[in-house]
Amino acid sequence: MNFSRLCTPNEHLINRRQWLGGTAAGLLGLACPTLADELKKKAKQVLFVWLDGGLSQLESWDPKPNTQFGGPFRAIPTAVPGIQVSELLPRTAKQMQHLAIVRSLCTKDNSHSAGVARIQRGDPKNRGVTYPFFGSAVAKWLGAGESGLPPYIWIKPGSGGFIPEDAGFLGPKYGALALGDGKPPENLLLNKSLTEADDIERNELRAKLDQRYAEQRRREVVEAQQYIFDMAAQLRKHRAIFDQSTFAPKDVERYGSHEFGRHMLLARRVLEAGVRFVKVNSYGWDTHGDNFNGHANLVPKVDQAFASLIEDLADRKMLDNVLVVMMSEFGRTPRINGHIGRDHWPEAWSLVMAGCGVKRGVVVGKTNNLGTYVDGPEHDIGHLFHTWFKALGVDPQNNEYDNNRQPLPIAHDDCQPIAELLS
Amino acid sequence: MLRPASVIAVLCAFAMASVVSAEPLHREIDRLIAARAGDVPAARPADDAEFLRRIYLDLAGRIPSVQEARAFLDDESTDKRAQLIDRLLASPDYPRRMQEQFHVMLMERLGDHPEWQKYLRESFAANKPWDQLAREILGGGLQDGQPKGAAFFYAKRLENYGQNPVDYPGLTRDVGRLFLGMDLACAQCHNHLFIKSYKQADFQGLHAFFQNTFLAGGLNIGEKPTTQKLGFQSVFKKEPLETAPRVPGLPELELPAIEKGKEFIKAPDPKTKAPGVLRFSPLAKLAEQLPTAENAAFSKNIVNRLWWVMLGRGLVHPLDLHHADNPASHPELLDLLAKEFVEHKYDIQWLLRELALSQTYQRSSVLPNAAEPPSPALFLVAHEKRVSAEQLLHSMLEATGERANVKEGTALDQLQLKFLRAFANPRREPEDTFNPSLKAALFVLNDDTVLGWLNPKSGNLAQRLADLQDADKLAEELYLSVLARRPTGLEKQEVAAYLMKKGDQREQAIKHLAWALLASTEFSVNH
Repeated sequence: MNFSRLCTPNEHLINRRQWLGGTAAGLLGLACPTLADELKKKAKQVLFVWLDGGLSQLESWDPKPNTQFGGPFRAIPTAVPGIQVSELLPRTAKQMQHLAIVRSLCTKDNSHSAGVARIQRGDPKNRGVTYPFFGSAVAKWLGAGESGLPPYIWIKPGSGGFIPEDAGFLGPKYGALALGDGKPPENLLLNKSLTEADDIERNELRAKLDQRYAEQRRREVVEAQQYIFDMAAQLRKHRAIFDQSTFAPKDVERYGSHEFGRHMLLARRVLEAGVRFVKVNSYGWDTHGDNFNGHANLVPKVDQAFASLIEDLADRKMLDNVLVVMMSEFGRTPRINGHIGRDHWPEAWSLVMAGCGVKRGVVVGKTNNLGTYVDGPEHDIGHLFHTWFKALGVDPQNNEYDNNRQPLPIAHDDCQPIAELLS
Repeated sequence: MLRPASVIAVLCAFAMASVVSAEPLHREIDRLIAARAGDVPAARPADDAEFLRRIYLDLAGRIPSVQEARAFLDDESTDKRAQLIDRLLASPDYPRRMQEQFHVMLMERLGDHPEWQKYLRESFAANKPWDQLAREILGGGLQDGQPKGAAFFYAKRLENYGQNPVDYPGLTRDVGRLFLGMDLACAQCHNHLFIKSYKQADFQGLHAFFQNTFLAGGLNIGEKPTTQKLGFQSVFKKEPLETAPRVPGLPELELPAIEKGKEFIKAPDPKTKAPGVLRFSPLAKLAEQLPTAENAAFSKNIVNRLWWVMLGRGLVHPLDLHHADNPASHPELLDLLAKEFVEHKYDIQWLLRELALSQTYQRSSVLPNAAEPPSPALFLVAHEKRVSAEQLLHSMLEATGERANVKEGTALDQLQLKFLRAFANPRREPEDTFNPSLKAALFVLNDDTVLGWLNPKSGNLAQRLADLQDADKLAEELYLSVLARRPTGLEKQEVAAYLMKKGDQREQAIKHLAWALLASTEFSVNH
């Protein structure tokens, strides 16, 4: 029997003033107040790069050249002596002094449909509830901050809109604002029949009506309505962020003029604007056939944009406060199949992270000589959720969700932070 | 603006209620609401314009046209409210409105189907009793002669959604929530932790009705024979349990011993995909056992939901948490509504009419003069209700005078899709509260659709306003058309001043004025 989005009996009680899509609420009210106040000063942010499908660890962070399953690519040295990565990552190799590689991932799901959500929800113990994605969780714990923008922005190819599903039991207001193709929400720009002066004038007329209507009525309704109109105005004020035509040509060249490059450049802007959590998706990481040409095509684009962004965050001193994670749903099989492809492999794979108190220039964990299994302690996604939360100042030991009186740990109860990753 | 007639009506209602018990239901409602309120002051009665707009939105699914508004406000007959209620219940708008309301309530934006819409429309046009509707929907259209469209409730929920398996627990949960007012979701894996009366056996018993159902294609629901009880165990106590299909509160079904190979009266036909007819059909049993007068949860759920449709909040609130620790705000009233509804053979029109006639329904949403607003659960002030995407579309067309320019069929359907995108909740999110969204605001602010309606075209609002030279007349036409009320003196002055200020930019001034009214909270909620 499958489990639907269950165990949210009181969810109707939650005031669903969700962000776009459904509803709206005071963004500053999103996070639990005391913690939010404390964290606001530090202004921690997250960049979460999701390579949808599976990046081959052997063609990226854990190369095994000249071994049975190693494939054709060489390993190259990085800025940190003793650490090598695949030759498909030459630019990122030069940023290794900022990065931490984890080579000991061992997760539990190798099916696509379940994998994305399972990993991004941190694969907690099944208590019959749908956990939030990492982005929604961070939105909940750290709030929107003072950017005037939503706390969780998702830059992705394809369609956009508000994605409430990511929020799970937290309720739709913690969902993601997806910028499909990096574009702003529909109807954000002023209708072409209107001037800025028109817009101010008509909204003054509207505000006057609302004020009069509100005078003798319960406050909530008018306030919620006013809030979303203010938010619309705020977002439009920030519309320059979404205008990709104003990217500096030099930056476009560095990040790459391809889709992922532009989206990562947009991510930098959105982070600079103070958005709490930015997710960037790249699709097509499913090389069951022709794995090596596939990676030779896909990885360099990621290398270019990722290395540029790390370099920029470091230059801007943002890396102290921005947690960067780049990962997939799973790794790929060491065994090379009959289609010269690699299949799904959750048993032993890698990810890369940086910033926000994560140790710099380190590799944590290792696989055996053939790269088939983890050699030493294995790390599930739950360990990483503990690590990330801890890096963000939300210690899973001291914080838990309150799902209408049902206390829930924020990360898998049997996992702990990976101490070697945290400085 | 207390009208003497209504004051007398209120006084009479209270005076008579104390001596006579066989009162019409609407008087009993007011008596029970007043009894619970004690000294807490209530809002004044809604004035004619408030009542007018509210009753149109609730029973016709739209605001009144400017002619309808004028006619009602100028009507001096003392029983004009009751007359209007009856007129609207008999109008072709009523079945459409109920079709939309029940579609949103039962499908929660999961999807849509023309046969389902036709089924709902025809059912409400015929004022089909609720127990019959529930029997048809819960029976899944398996029996001969059952309306096919009713099967959509199951059909949509038995689809695979993307790569996910069929969400049987979700279906179980929805039947419990929508027909019994019990959200048993948390009792899937264990007895509910906080609600004593929600047992895992209740969830599993209800679940057992659906374990062998499947979507045979189109709107055809199929059932595989149910020969065994459903096994389950609690995640807390590893002890094997089992249940036959069982409606919560009733005994388990007896599974008849049927010889293998003889389960079907009419075998499934793989060619036509006809799912066949079982000798023992759990769905047929569910349809027989759940919607009955003996099943109190069934009647209480629906009267609570119809109360919510009209009053904006359930007597039991949230709507799907009926249980001992979450009692109705007015338990006697809920019991009375349920009892009378059953006695009136589940007549939805009758109940809506009684609710609409009550003083409780006809309160203003303007707060009484008191330090603290009264608790919402006392029903002493009208709740500001959400206006659905459908109501909003019909109302905007009415307000802008564009209704005549949009033909039924494709044009209207496309507009409806746009409005759903902008104003409807995501799938599975009940639309039971007012929750404005940014995408809705952006739609109203900048989408061509609504702004286009504010350009003058023959007979539309902008044109009618452009033709009025007198600023007071213009203000009256504008406010009556959009807000279904006449402007106050101050509002007339403001309109005149704004028109004056804009000078020869009159067309644009009119557009801004009309837009401001359409985008206002007063227009966006049913107050």
